[in-house]
Amino acid sequence: MSRVVIDPVSRIEGHLRLEIEVDENSHQVKNAVSAGTMWRGIELIVKDRDPREVWAFTQRICGVCTTIHALASVRNIEDALDIEIPKNANYIRNIMLGTLYAHDHLVHFYHLHALDWVSPLEAIKADPVATASLQNQLLQTYGGIISIYRDYLGGSAYPKKFPKATPGYFKTFQDKIKNLVQSGQLGIFAANWWNHPDYKMLPPEVHLIAIAHYLNMLDVQRELVLPHVVFGGKNPHPHYIVGGMNCSISMNDMNAPVNMERLAVVEDSIYTQAEAANLFYLIDLLAIGQIYIQKGWTYGGGLSKERVLGYGDFPDEPYKSIKNGDYFEKILYHTNGVVENFKDGVEKAIYHPIKAEDFTSPDIIQEWITHSWYRYPDNNEGLHPWNGITDPYYTGPKEGTKTHWKYLNDEGKYSWIKAPRWKNLPAEVGPLARYIIVYTAIKQGHIKPTWMDEMVVNQIDFVSKVLNLPPHIWMPTTVGRTAARGLECQLGANASNYFLKKLYDNIKAGDMAVANMSKWEPSTWQDKTKGIGITEAPRGALGHWCIIENRKIANYQAVVPTTWNGSPRDEKNQQGAFERSMQDTIVLIAKEPLEILRSIHSFDPCLACSTHVYNADGEEITSFRIGGACYE
Amino acid sequence: METFWETLKRHGVSRREFLKFSTIITGLMGLPPFMIPKVVEAMETKPRVPVIWMHGLECTCCSESFIRSATPLASDVLLTMISLEYDDTLSAAAGEALEKHKDDIMKKYAGQYILAVEGNPPLGDDGMYCVVNGKPFLEGLKKASEHAKAIIAWGSCASWGCVQAAKPNPTTAVPIDKVISDKPIIKIPGCPPIPEVMTGTIMYMTLFGKLPPLDSQGRPKMFYGNRIHDTCYRRAFFNEGMFVEQFDDDGAKKGWCLYKMGCRGPTTYNSCGNLRWYNGLSYPIQSGHGCIGCSENNFWDNGDFYSREQNIPFIGTESNADKVGAVAVGAAVAGAIAHGVISKIRSGKKE
Repeated sequence: MSRVVIDPVSRIEGHLRLEIEVDENSHQVKNAVSAGTMWRGIELIVKDRDPREVWAFTQRICGVCTTIHALASVRNIEDALDIEIPKNANYIRNIMLGTLYAHDHLVHFYHLHALDWVSPLEAIKADPVATASLQNQLLQTYGGIISIYRDYLGGSAYPKKFPKATPGYFKTFQDKIKNLVQSGQLGIFAANWWNHPDYKMLPPEVHLIAIAHYLNMLDVQRELVLPHVVFGGKNPHPHYIVGGMNCSISMNDMNAPVNMERLAVVEDSIYTQAEAANLFYLIDLLAIGQIYIQKGWTYGGGLSKERVLGYGDFPDEPYKSIKNGDYFEKILYHTNGVVENFKDGVEKAIYHPIKAEDFTSPDIIQEWITHSWYRYPDNNEGLHPWNGITDPYYTGPKEGTKTHWKYLNDEGKYSWIKAPRWKNLPAEVGPLARYIIVYTAIKQGHIKPTWMDEMVVNQIDFVSKVLNLPPHIWMPTTVGRTAARGLECQLGANASNYFLKKLYDNIKAGDMAVANMSKWEPSTWQDKTKGIGITEAPRGALGHWCIIENRKIANYQAVVPTTWNGSPRDEKNQQGAFERSMQDTIVLIAKEPLEILRSIHSFDPCLACSTHVYNADGEEITSFRIGGACYE
Repeated sequence: METFWETLKRHGVSRREFLKFSTIITGLMGLPPFMIPKVVEAMETKPRVPVIWMHGLECTCCSESFIRSATPLASDVLLTMISLEYDDTLSAAAGEALEKHKDDIMKKYAGQYILAVEGNPPLGDDGMYCVVNGKPFLEGLKKASEHAKAIIAWGSCASWGCVQAAKPNPTTAVPIDKVISDKPIIKIPGCPPIPEVMTGTIMYMTLFGKLPPLDSQGRPKMFYGNRIHDTCYRRAFFNEGMFVEQFDDDGAKKGWCLYKMGCRGPTTYNSCGNLRWYNGLSYPIQSGHGCIGCSENNFWDNGDFYSREQNIPFIGTESNADKVGAVAVGAAVAGAIAHGVISKIRSGKKE
C-alpha cells in the first residue's frame, strides 16, 4: 500500500490536494482524501455593506462559472426585500444562465478535461485521411442527438460552425503538434503521464479529432458568451442589478443598451452555442465515452449511486418569492429533489422533492466542521447557514511541518472546505445529479414534465440506446458524469434559444421594462429581513442565505457546489463525493494515477467557490479572531 | 529556443506572409510604419519566451479573460508567441510531475522566463490560507521570482489586492509587489483585465523583448493612459448634462451618462472606452451599468458602487494618472456640482 499525493491538481479552478492509498495488487483505492487548500473570506467581507452591491463581491467568488454567484446574490437580496423582477429581466437572466451552461461545460470538456482521455502524442500517430473519414462517420453515428435540440427562433439559415472533415485540416493540427514536440517546448502539454496505458484505449484518429477540436474550440469558445457582453457589458463578471437588469431596451434609441442590432448579436451567439454543443462537443463526447464504457470504464460513480441533490432553476416567468415557495411553481428545470439509490434502477430509486422549507428549516441543510480547519462552540454539531459561525482553526498536517506538509491528517482536520449535509447525509451535486433527479422524477411520475424535463429524458434515452445499457448502469460513473455535463451544454444552449424567443415576444407585445426600481431606495426596506437565493450553477446546486439589518448585510452565507462535492468527512466519518468517487476508481499505476485525475476532473472542481469564509451571524468576534490569527 | 520567424516557417508561413503579418502587427501595436523593420527583426531573432503562470488567492477570471482574446487568438498566443510551461489552469500535467517541470524550466531558462502571477499571497497564518504543493503559495512565488526576467501581475488581485484584500481583509492578502521588490513588475489591473490588453502586453514583450512603456504605477501607458471617462462614447451626454437618474428610466433607454448612478469612469484608468470588450462589442457602461472601477487600487472600499462620484477632475480635461494627482480637489467637486445643476436644467427642458 502506498500513499500518493497529487498537489497541485491542475486544470481546475483554485487549489486542491488529493491523497490516495492504493492497493497495488488489487489496484483499488483504499483511502482517498481531498482537501481544499485555499481560503479567502468573501462572506465576511460583504458584512455591513449595501445589499445592492453584494452581487459584485460574491461574483468574484468564481471567475470560471462567472455570473452564477451574482445571480444567486441578486435573487437572495430580492427574496429578502420582496422584489419581483420584470419579465424581460427574468428572460435575460435565463439567457445568461443558459449561456453559462453552454460555455462553461464546453470549456471544461475540451480545456480542463479532454487531456485525461486523449493525448497530443497519440494524435501524431493518426492518419489524416482516416481521421477525416472517421469524423464523417461519427457525425453519422451520433448525429441523432442533434435533433433533440429544438429551435424556437428559426433564424439560422445553416450551421456556420461545422466540424471540418478533410485530411488537410487534420494534417495542419497534426503538424502543429509535431513541431511543438520537435521544438522541445511542449508548453501546456509538457510533463504529463503520456505513457499511461489508458492513452492506448482510443485509436489515434479519435485523439487527433479531439486535439484538433481542443485548439479549434479554444478560439471559438469566446463567441459563445457574447450574450453576457451585450447584457452585462463584459465577460468574465458581467453586471447585474438588484431588481432586474441594467440593460434597458429601446427600439427608438441608437444608444440603447439593447436594440435590434444588440439582440442580433445575442441570437447569432446562441446559434454558435448550439453548433458547438451539437456538432463538436456531443459527437466527440459520445465517441470517446462509448469506447471507454465498452472497455469497462463504469467506475468512479461513488456517492452518485447513493444520493444526489438539486435545487431547480430556469423560472419560466417571474416569481414572487423563493422562501415562500413560488419559485418552485415557476421553474422549468425540475432538479429540485434528492434521489437515493439510483444504482438500483430508476424504478427502485427513492425520490424526495426539495421545497422552500428545505432551505428555511434549521435542521435540513447544515454545515459541519469536524474535519475542517474551523471551530464551533460544539465541534460535533451542524449549523444552518442563517446561524453559521466562522472561526478558522488551522491545525497542520499529520506528517511534515505546519508549512511543509507530507501527509494530511484525515483522522483530524484536513481541509479549508466545510462539510454541508442534507438531513445529516452527504450528497453529490452537479449535472449528473440533476439528470438523475429529473429522470427519476419523470419516470416515476412525480411531476408534470416541462420541455426542459422532457429534453433531459430524451437525451438520456438516446445515450442509453447508443450504449445499449440502462441509465442506472452508465450514469452513476465517471463517464456518466462527463456525459451529463455535455448533455446539459445542449440543454443550456436550448434554454438560451427558448428565452430569447420569449424576450422577442414580450418586446413585440410592447413591454420594454428590465428593472423594478420600487424598492431601490433603502428607505423602502424593512429594518430586519432574511433572504434565500438559489440557482443551479454549472457545477451543481448553489445557495446564498442573507440577513439584512438596518439596511446593511448582517450575515451572508454561500453553500456552493464544490463544498458539497469536495467536502471532507463529517462527525460520522461520512465522506463527500470527491472522496467516494476516488475510492470507486481503479488505479493501474499508483505513481501515475491518471484515473484519479479523470474522476476528479469529471466534477469540474471549483475551489475558490468552495473555500471562502463562513460568517459568524454578524458577531464582531469573528473578524477579531481572524484578525488575530493573521497578525500573530 | 527557436525564434518567432522559425516557428512560423515551420508552420508553413511564407516570407511574404510573414512580412504582411509583421506590418499588421506593427499597426496593432500602435507603432508608426517606420517601426516595421524593427518588428520584423524582433520576430526573426527572438525565441518563444517560456512563461510560468502561477495562481494564488484568486477566482481565475484573469485566465478566462485571457482565452477570450480575439486579436491575437488564444491558440496563436499559446502556440506561436510564448511557451506556457506551467499553469494551474491549462497544464496537462499535475502534482509532482508538474512541479518538477516548473523547477526544470526555472533552471534551464534562468533569467529568461516571464513569471505571470494571477491572484495574490495571503500573509495570515504563515501563508497557509493558500497552499500549493503542501507549501505556502508565498514560498513558491518568491522562489519563482528569483530567476524571472520580468513579472506580470495579472488583474487587480496581483496588482492591488482586490476582493480578498477588501475590508477587513481576513487573510491579509497583499499585492505581489509587497513581497517581491527586486524585479520589474508590470501591472495589468482589472477584474478581470480586458482580454486584448492581456495578450497585447504579452505580444509587446515577446516581440520587443522588453517591458512596454509604463506609467508611475507600473501599468502600460498604451492601455491605462486615459480614464474611461475620456474615451467613453457617452461622454457627450456628460458634457451636455444629460444623465440617467434611475435604472431603466428614459435616459437609461437613450443611453445617457451614468455618472449619477455611481459610474466611476471619471476616475478609472483602463481601455474599456476605446478598445471595449470582445473587439469593440461592448463594455459595462454600454450595457447600462456604471463602471465600478475594477482596475483601480482599492476599488472595493472606495465607497458604494451606486453613490455619485465626488472626486472627479475638471470637466473637459483629458488627463492621465500621473497628471491627475496635481488636480485640485476643490475645483473637481465644484465641477461635479456644476454638472448636477446643468443636468437639472436639461431634464427640466426635456420633460
